[in-house]
This record gives sequence, structure tokens and C-alpha cells, in this order.
Amino acid sequence: MSVIQVEDVSKRFRLYTEKPSSVKEIFTKFGRTPDYEEFWALRNVSLEVEEASVHGLIGHNGCGKSTLLRVMAGIHKPTSGKVTTVGRISALLELGAGFHPELTGRENIYLNAAILGLSRKQTDALYDGIVEFSGLEAFIDSPVKHYSSGMFVRLGFSVAVHVEPQILLIDEVIAVGDEEFQRRCLDHLANLRSQGVTIVLVTHAMGIVQNMCDHVTWMDHGVVQAQGPALEVVGDYLSEVNNEEAARRPSDAATAGDAADAGEAIHIEGFELINGKGDVASFALSGDTVSIRVHWRATRPVEVPQIRLTVESEGGVILATTALEPDRNAIPSVGRFFVDYQIDHFPLAPGNYILKLVARDASSHVELDRFADTPMLVRSGGYVIDGMFDLRGTWGTVRPEGLA
Amino acid sequence: MTAVTQIWAYRNLIYNLAQRELRSRYKKSVLGWLWSLLNPASTLLIYSLVFGFFLKQTPAEPANNGSTSVYALYLFAGLWVWNYFNGTVTGAITALQASGPLLNKVYFPPACPAIANTATVLLQAAIESGILAVVMLLLGNLGVTVLLFPLLIVLLTLFALGIGLALSVYNVFYRDVAYLVTIGLNILFYATPIIYPITVVHGEIFGISVRTIVELNPIAQFVAWSRDVFWSGTWPSAASFAGLTAVSVATFLVGLAIFNRKSRDIAQEL
Repeated sequence: MSVIQVEDVSKRFRLYTEKPSSVKEIFTKFGRTPDYEEFWALRNVSLEVEEASVHGLIGHNGCGKSTLLRVMAGIHKPTSGKVTTVGRISALLELGAGFHPELTGRENIYLNAAILGLSRKQTDALYDGIVEFSGLEAFIDSPVKHYSSGMFVRLGFSVAVHVEPQILLIDEVIAVGDEEFQRRCLDHLANLRSQGVTIVLVTHAMGIVQNMCDHVTWMDHGVVQAQGPALEVVGDYLSEVNNEEAARRPSDAATAGDAADAGEAIHIEGFELINGKGDVASFALSGDTVSIRVHWRATRPVEVPQIRLTVESEGGVILATTALEPDRNAIPSVGRFFVDYQIDHFPLAPGNYILKLVARDASSHVELDRFADTPMLVRSGGYVIDGMFDLRGTWGTVRPEGLA
Repeated sequence: MTAVTQIWAYRNLIYNLAQRELRSRYKKSVLGWLWSLLNPASTLLIYSLVFGFFLKQTPAEPANNGSTSVYALYLFAGLWVWNYFNGTVTGAITALQASGPLLNKVYFPPACPAIANTATVLLQAAIESGILAVVMLLLGNLGVTVLLFPLLIVLLTLFALGIGLALSVYNVFYRDVAYLVTIGLNILFYATPIIYPITVVHGEIFGISVRTIVELNPIAQFVAWSRDVFWSGTWPSAASFAGLTAVSVATFLVGLAIFNRKSRDIAQEL
């Protein structure tokens, strides 16, 4: 059953160049052309969100995703089209909206819960859980103006997720707070979802989208660019972003490389990730076939050329390393080359990693070139890896003890 | 009607907004709650001095049982009505404007802040009229007409809120409204027999008695009712009953309808 139904919704805003906000101006400007410009924030947007699913809204800044969220929340009315929602909505467009600085944390919890539509009795029942989740027991009776911004946010989030909404609309807000609190937020959202809460999420954090969302709508300039399963749409979106990036500065890499590395015997030009279908991808999928394609250019012969590839965790722990010594008899000593390092069943868990490429002369141990530490994104495919990586082992059959 | 049921569903928000307003109002002030008494007391003192002492105004007639002719008490019986009306109308305008940031973040019926404000003003009115009632009781001047008081409060609330809601939503589009309201209320205050008894009004305009015109003003009627309750101990005429009830209910319904129509997409204008 779909609990949110957006049917052919368009939303027009009037951007007043000089708003006629006094009676005098109405009379003096009477009959002239209106002094506002029309701006369509949404155009013919349709989407459905199934009950107990997580729907992501992605796109550039100003693409209309926040407006869409506000239309779903009932804050803005659509100019045309229809929005139907089933169940109580709690919108987290800004944490702690409605907090009054002079009031204490306790008073603000009751106030904020009321803004989100709760009765006093319901708030009483949820109060302890809210305080505990926020971790602000010691400060709950001081005015919130003395809170740090982090404490403020924790209290706001805690109230918003505890009001037992049937639909939760979230705009960017989980990108706040410290690491530990963020993880707790995400855990809690996963929890809510398993309890049947429908969540619509606006975010730029593709990791969160990939890990949490079932479906994704990609917005661009107020229209729906793509809609579908999270992995596909995010993949398309990221490659589009990468293409745009490349288009914006096409010559950068080439020229900079030429100037800086004229003297090197081997210059590493870069690497690409190739997915199982043989296409260039912006991230690797856990469990997929992934090839790391390394490009380099040799300008002088080297005694024993070697390309070394290292994968590190974000914290700098070396996870794996491998080296290639190209057969000098098989290729010319000068020219441009590439090679694929194929991994059949990509073992790393989703997350951010660092890829290092080093070219050296293995005979003299002289480092010839180093490709700057580059982030490598790993996303979860349909294949779940708990922990850091997949051991790729298999369990044997179970046998009773003591039998030969 | 859905508008009313929706507002009812958010009654806890109204309660909390009113509580927030009250709690934060006198924070960090030494006298705190005493200010809610000192403010009307100072106005009363000024008016009593100027109109009662210097200008020698007297009540239209002594109180019901002749227990008192103190002008200040007569004045106060009208003044609290005015304070309540004035506070509700101006408060509704400020309340809607001030909740702009919130209405852009969370959905709730936009009439809630104005209603919450009315609740805080009502509390103030209850304190003021309560003090008046106690004084009159001590003077032995509180009769059975005190039963009129609840109806007076209900009708006055409907009337003031209807006007406040309609004006507050227009103020969002044209900020001149707030300024015009200030002037309008000033005129209305002196056009209402509060600081003077109705009996001093004489003369005719276009053959109509000025006193009749003044009496047609609903606020003048509310003031008259309050004096019926606390001063003269008489009952208003049947015409006054019917008229004021009809006008108050109609004003509220029309005001609410205007508000609902105009506030449909108010968040983007705030």
C-alpha cells in the first residue's frame, strides 16, 4: 500500500523583485505588470512511497527536493496536482524548530512534541525515552540557550523520532552531531523502519542513501530525472556528477600531469573502476566483479619497472597490497599503457577506502611516481558484508563428534 | 468545520504555545508576575487621575446598592473589556507574523498561534476582572447578574478573535494593516464609552442620535454588559442579547473563513 501519493504536482513560487507590500504601492502600481517573477520549483512530479519503505530524494542544491518534502509535509500547497498521505507525519526539516531559548530542555520537549501534534499524555509516556536518547539527563532543567549546538541538535532529533510518526520526512538533518550520535540516529531510523514507519529522506550522503533507501527519486531542476531502485538511480546520478565534473575541467589533469612529470621514467596517469558489466563505475560494489584499471606512461626504459597498488582504510591501515612487474619483452619500453587488476568477488564491505598507486624501479627500490591518495568508494550490492571484508570461506557439513 | 476540528486536534499545541508565552514573558524580571498587575494598575491610576480627578467625571449612576461611586471602579469595569479586545486583536497579528519561521518548518494549523495568544490575554483578563469581582463582592455589590459574565467572555472572545484572525492574515500580505489597526483601535477606544459614561453623549448627526450610533458599536455593548455585571446589577435588553450574540458569532465565522481561505499557503509568504 502506498502511504504517500504525489500526483502530477507542480509548485510555483513568486519571486518578488520588489514586493508591493504597502497600500500606497498597490495604488501607484495599479495596472502595471506584476513585479514578480514566476519560478517553478516543481513541475509535474509524481511519485508513490510504499508503506514501511525508505525513499530517498537526491539531486543538486536547488533541484526542488526540499520543496517536494515540504509539499508532502503540507507546509506548502501544490499549485497544481495532488498529494495524498495516510497517517501522522513528522517532518524533520530543521532540528529543534520551535525551541524557545529561554525555556528549559524539559519545557521544550513538551513544546516541540506539541508542535509535532502530540497530546500531553502521549508526551508524558515518551518523555523518558526522549531524554535518554538525547543523553542530556544532566542538563534537562537548564534553559536551552545554554546548550551547545550539538546538544541542541541531539534534543531536537530525539524528540522528532520519538513522536511515533507513521511517516517521517527528513531533510538533511542527520548530517549533524558527532559520529557516535549520527550512528545512533541511523540505527534508530532503521529501527523505526522495521516497525513499519515510512521514511522519506533528502540527503547528499550517497552512502546513507545506498545503505538505507529502497527507492530513490533523482530530482533535477524541479522535474524527476530518474526513479527506481536505490542502487541503480544513485549509480546513474554519481556517474552524471562525475561526467559533469570531467566536463568542467577536461584539460586540468592532462596539462598538470605533463608539466610536473616530464622528468619521470614512469608516470601514473590514474585509475578507473570497472564493474562486472565492463563499464566504468564511480564506485565498487561489494561482491561484484571489479577491475581496477591503471593507466601509466613510460618515457624512459627502467631496469625492473613495478606498479604497486595498495588499499588502505580511511584510518590509514593497510588492508591489501599487490604489485605488477610488466614483462619488458612483451611491451615497448616507451609509451602509454593500461592494465586491469581483476577482483572476481570484491571482498570489501561498503565504506570509504583509499587507493595508492606507486611506480618504482624494483632493482634499485627508487620510487618513480606516486599517484596521490585517492578515495575509493565501495557500496553494497545485493550482497551483504558484515564487518570489514568477506573471508570468502565456506562452511563444511556438520558432523557429530566422536565418530570416525 | 474541518478547520475547527483540526484546530481542536492541535489543542495541546495551543496550550503549549500559550505556556511558552507566559513562561518566557517575565523571565529575568525581578517583579515577574507582578507586572501583569502593575500594568493595568498604572493605566487605571492615570485614567482615574486625569478623567476622574482633574476632569471630574463621575459614574453614570452609583453602583447598584449605592455602595460606591468610586470612578476608578466604574472605569475598570470597562477598561478590562477593552484590554482583552485590544490584546486579542493586536496579539493575533503579531503572533502569526512571529510564527513564520516555525510554519516553514512544521505543519500545524496557522490559527494556533493567534488562539494561543488569546488564551494568554484571556488569563490576564480573568485576573483583572477577578480582582474587580473581589472588590465588588467586598462592597456587597455583586448580584445575580454575575451569571452574565461567562457569556460575556465567550462572545467577546469570538468577536475579538474573528477580527484578529482576519486582520492578521491580511497583515502578512500588506504590512500596513498593523499600522492601520493601531490607529483604528485608538479611535475605537475613544469612540467607546469607557473613560466616560454613555450619558455624556448628546447631539444628532443627520437626524440620528449620536448616542444610538455609539451604542451600535459592539465594544460599547460589551462594556455595557460588563457594567451590568459588576456595577449596576441590571440585565441587558433582549435586543442587546440577541444582537450581540448574532454579531459575535457572525464575526467569528466570517473572520475564520477569511483566515482559512487566505492562509491556505501562508508559509511561503511569511
